[in-house]
Amino acid sequence: MKQYGFLAVMAILMAVVFTTGAWAAGDGITIALGSEPTTLDPQIREDGGERAVNDNIYDTVLTRSPKGELMPSLAAAMPTIQDATTWEVKLRPGITFHNGEPLNADAVVYSIKRVIDPKFNSEQISFFSTIKDAVKKDDLTLQVITNGSDPILPSRLYWLKVVPPVYSKDPKFAEAPIGTGPYRLVSWKRGQSIELERHEGYWGKKPDIKAVNYRFVEEPGTRLAGLMAGEFDLITNLLPEFTRQVPKSVNVLGLEHPIIILNADSGITKDVRVRQALNYAVDKEALARGLFEGFAQVAQGQLLSPSFFGYNDQVKAYPYDPALAQKLIKEAGAEGATVELIGTSGRWLKDRDLVEAVAAYWKKAGINANVRIFEFNEYLNRLFDRKTRADAIFVTASNELLDADKSFSAYYKSGGTGASNTDAALAGLIDAARTENDVKKRTGLYHQAVKLAHDQAYFVWLLNIEDVYGLSKRLEWPGRVDARLLVGEMKVN
Amino acid sequence: MGIFIFKRLIHGLIVILGVTLIVFVVTRMVGDPVKVMLPLESTQEQRDAFKKQLGLDRPIPVQLVNFLKDIARLDFGDSLWQKRPAMEIVFEKLPLTLALTAVGVGLACVFAIPLGIISALRPGGALDRLTVFGSLLGLSMPQFWMGLLFILLFAVQLRILPTSGSATPSHIILPALTMALPTLARLVMLVRSSMIDELNQPYVKTAFARGLPFVRVVGGHALKNAGLPIMTLIGWEVIRSLAGYSVVVETVFAWPGIGLTAIQAIEREDLILIQAIVFTAAISVVLINIAMDFIYKLIDPRLKLT
Amino acid sequence: MTKTKANDLEQALSRSRYEWVDKLKELGRELRRDTAGFIGVVLITALVLMAVFAPLISPHDPTEQDLTARLVPPVWYEKGSWGHVFGTDHLGRDILSRAIHGSRVSLWVGVSVVSLAGGFGVVMGLLAGYLGGRTDAFIMRWVDTQVAFPGLLLALIILAVIGPSLTTVVLVLSLNGWMVYGRMTRSAVLAIRQSPYVEAAEVVGCRWPRIIFRHILPNLTSSLLTLGILEFARIVLAEAALSFLGLGIQPPATSWGLDVSMGKNYMFMAWWLVTIPGCAIGITVLAINLVASWLRLISDPQEREKQFARHMAGSMRKAMVLKAETERRQP
Repeated sequence: MKQYGFLAVMAILMAVVFTTGAWAAGDGITIALGSEPTTLDPQIREDGGERAVNDNIYDTVLTRSPKGELMPSLAAAMPTIQDATTWEVKLRPGITFHNGEPLNADAVVYSIKRVIDPKFNSEQISFFSTIKDAVKKDDLTLQVITNGSDPILPSRLYWLKVVPPVYSKDPKFAEAPIGTGPYRLVSWKRGQSIELERHEGYWGKKPDIKAVNYRFVEEPGTRLAGLMAGEFDLITNLLPEFTRQVPKSVNVLGLEHPIIILNADSGITKDVRVRQALNYAVDKEALARGLFEGFAQVAQGQLLSPSFFGYNDQVKAYPYDPALAQKLIKEAGAEGATVELIGTSGRWLKDRDLVEAVAAYWKKAGINANVRIFEFNEYLNRLFDRKTRADAIFVTASNELLDADKSFSAYYKSGGTGASNTDAALAGLIDAARTENDVKKRTGLYHQAVKLAHDQAYFVWLLNIEDVYGLSKRLEWPGRVDARLLVGEMKVN
Repeated sequence: MGIFIFKRLIHGLIVILGVTLIVFVVTRMVGDPVKVMLPLESTQEQRDAFKKQLGLDRPIPVQLVNFLKDIARLDFGDSLWQKRPAMEIVFEKLPLTLALTAVGVGLACVFAIPLGIISALRPGGALDRLTVFGSLLGLSMPQFWMGLLFILLFAVQLRILPTSGSATPSHIILPALTMALPTLARLVMLVRSSMIDELNQPYVKTAFARGLPFVRVVGGHALKNAGLPIMTLIGWEVIRSLAGYSVVVETVFAWPGIGLTAIQAIEREDLILIQAIVFTAAISVVLINIAMDFIYKLIDPRLKLT
Repeated sequence: MTKTKANDLEQALSRSRYEWVDKLKELGRELRRDTAGFIGVVLITALVLMAVFAPLISPHDPTEQDLTARLVPPVWYEKGSWGHVFGTDHLGRDILSRAIHGSRVSLWVGVSVVSLAGGFGVVMGLLAGYLGGRTDAFIMRWVDTQVAFPGLLLALIILAVIGPSLTTVVLVLSLNGWMVYGRMTRSAVLAIRQSPYVEAAEVVGCRWPRIIFRHILPNLTSSLLTLGILEFARIVLAEAALSFLGLGIQPPATSWGLDVSMGKNYMFMAWWLVTIPGCAIGITVLAINLVASWLRLISDPQEREKQFARHMAGSMRKAMVLKAETERRQP
């Protein structure tokens, strides 16, 4: 027993000597992700870890520039509308998958049919729910058929990773993916790491970095430790406080908007003056500076970032005006009233802190917030409860389509999972915009919806949080608004 | 012996059934996994469909029968979170926890046995008092906190060991060390006290008087006779680690063993994976207990097993 | 007749009172001989006082946030101030006040779990040991089965499902820890049952509850006390670990384990966030362990003799050395 133990220790010590200093060196980089992918099939899960890896192995039909504009990727040009429900996509010629299968209309049609097949039961279905069918026209041309008109089909195609029709039927596909992207899989050691290497035959711009090693660390503190210790080159969700501590940091306006949903149908928040007062009462600038160290921007009275489709630049945030808030509350006769404010803890960046800070501001304006922090499960019960809506519910909305439709259907439109209003006019605008193919008209509809919701103060719009990344000294990366970790855009000094 | 084995197996079966039933009742009593599993914006129809797919819409007795069938077949179905067989995940993670436990307990033994013997040779001496105080300290410091301090010192300040994960053999050192500390403390105390007792026995004095070499007397005779309680403690430490105490260390160091997986499954309300993990843990504990009994028998054949 | 009886009783009582005082005095004397035990007792007394008077001695409300004074370092740093002796956390809350209030949770959980689990375990052990037969078999089977459960894992799951809080933590830890008392009580009862005075009580016709609680239980006090204190230390650590994992005490309540877990994200720029509550746990548990090992020493006559001999030998050695020294110097 004793001798074996001793041998084990010796073996470990030897191993240390040989492996120390091996990480975070050479031409490869190491990226720490918050969670390990559960599969590497790019079409089945809605999973941040999977996306972070597969974004580099697969290409999508359309892509976005780092600033967020849609651009062709596998497509040769932007898709064109044939009639209300038909879009035509032309593909780039001469592209092959890593295993030699050709990328053609068949592959794209196959990928679309695969992901929308009810039997396949993809979690990504919400991105593609409007697509009815796809038809091949010629080898490099296909048509996408939608249920009714769907103006945001291009945004949906930005989510469509194209899989190889033959190999994807192989049971190994979920573990050893084959795509058309700039990197290909070398190994996946479950629970430990995923390694990618540069695909030398890539059709697009050749990436600078030769190899990527993904590691999975759930705890933000542990990720940070790894970055500080020089093990990682890139970590996500860096706490804003640490931007001065880490070798380098990058911040980009992200897709997350913390808001408070106010109940416009009952309770004292039924009075629009109270709802407006609750907006005026909160010093959003101070929240951005104090809680987020400046790594957040004040949301401009809408659940959209400037880069999203439908953003109305005429609408501005309610200014911080505690005197006006007090006056409005007095007028509404709601002085000293109590509002139940529901929140959760640990789900989103500083969720609890935000709720408590808002409650303190409301109190100053004369409304007592009864803050109730639930663990996530119970919190969801409250958020989804359609019968008895709480007065105020905190939520962090996130919008990966970068289009008003997704956020508005869920939170603005009467009957949406997170909506607390029954405004038929607002719902009408959102429904109309949903099927409007004319970009200009559609923009106009959303601008009206934004304005209406803003004037009615259906929400307390708080912030638009910036994504903060921690980088090692040698890594160069400007960041992206869509938070994709495209290694092809990174450089090593 | 045959009766003994039979009794033990029956008892083991009761334990395993008891544990899995508790988990079954608890997870189905309050939890609703569907809510957490689907994205925030899903509709009620999507939620209902998902519930049906999992068989959670059926009455509890039917669910229970299905569940018992699952146990009998050793197949709990696909994990809700990872969408692959839960037992596959468990078998993937179990070796990592076993490795961590083995290295941790091994490290503890390697240091504890000599330390314990040395301090037993001179009870009350400076070295002994230092050892005793050190063990008390080791027992008193919270493990998760020691782990954090190790990361801060060895990984971030000195940069000689990695912070987290399990990619290379050197990744095991810090978690194993953290795991070993309380074990080491308990073991040192035990080795020390049993050696003190043993060294005071007449046979040891006779052996010394007869001029037998020191190492042989202490290492050969005394240690061997003090072996039973020491073995018990070692076995108990292994059981402890499998019974869930590895969770803390695995969380601190992101060591992807069964403990970290358990916490992740709990967070994601993956009741299938939770069931598989608890079931495996219960079986391991039962098996180790039986194995320990056999080892006792081997060490001391006079022992009566009932 | 009756008068003399009353007098006797009074005398007996007063004598026993003296004995009690004497015992305490002797305990004090022992304590002074054992430095480690002494330190332990002093620390625990201080902790209990701190917990009881927490609202009076803590400089701030432990949940009061100040977003303008986040992560202020302790007073000995340039940026520190006497307003926050140990600095503030990521929400600008005073670390010292949180540490002081955290002692309440730790001690409260420890006391409740030890009394709940201990009470239940002792009763079960007494019943099993005294009644024997089927009761014994049933209770011991139960203990054996539950001991073989993966305890912490089950505790985590139960806490996650029914929702972690102070009450549930106490309940789950009690459910998990009563077996050790049961086993120990049972084996002690089996030993004591054979003793003449229990047999005498049985012969006289005492009923079994009386025998158990009046004749047997008092004899177990010292060993149960030691066990209880050891368990107390274990429970304090367990509560801290559960809270650290996020399945124990929930905010806005304070707990040392919770503070370490929230502080670990800020460990690299503000070490005091994890160090202060971590030290608090360590010191508390160490103090309890010191007291427990001292109690074990004095309650074990063999150990006591040894310790006394060691003490005497030590002072003799010292005297001899002194003597030798003076002799060497004199010529």
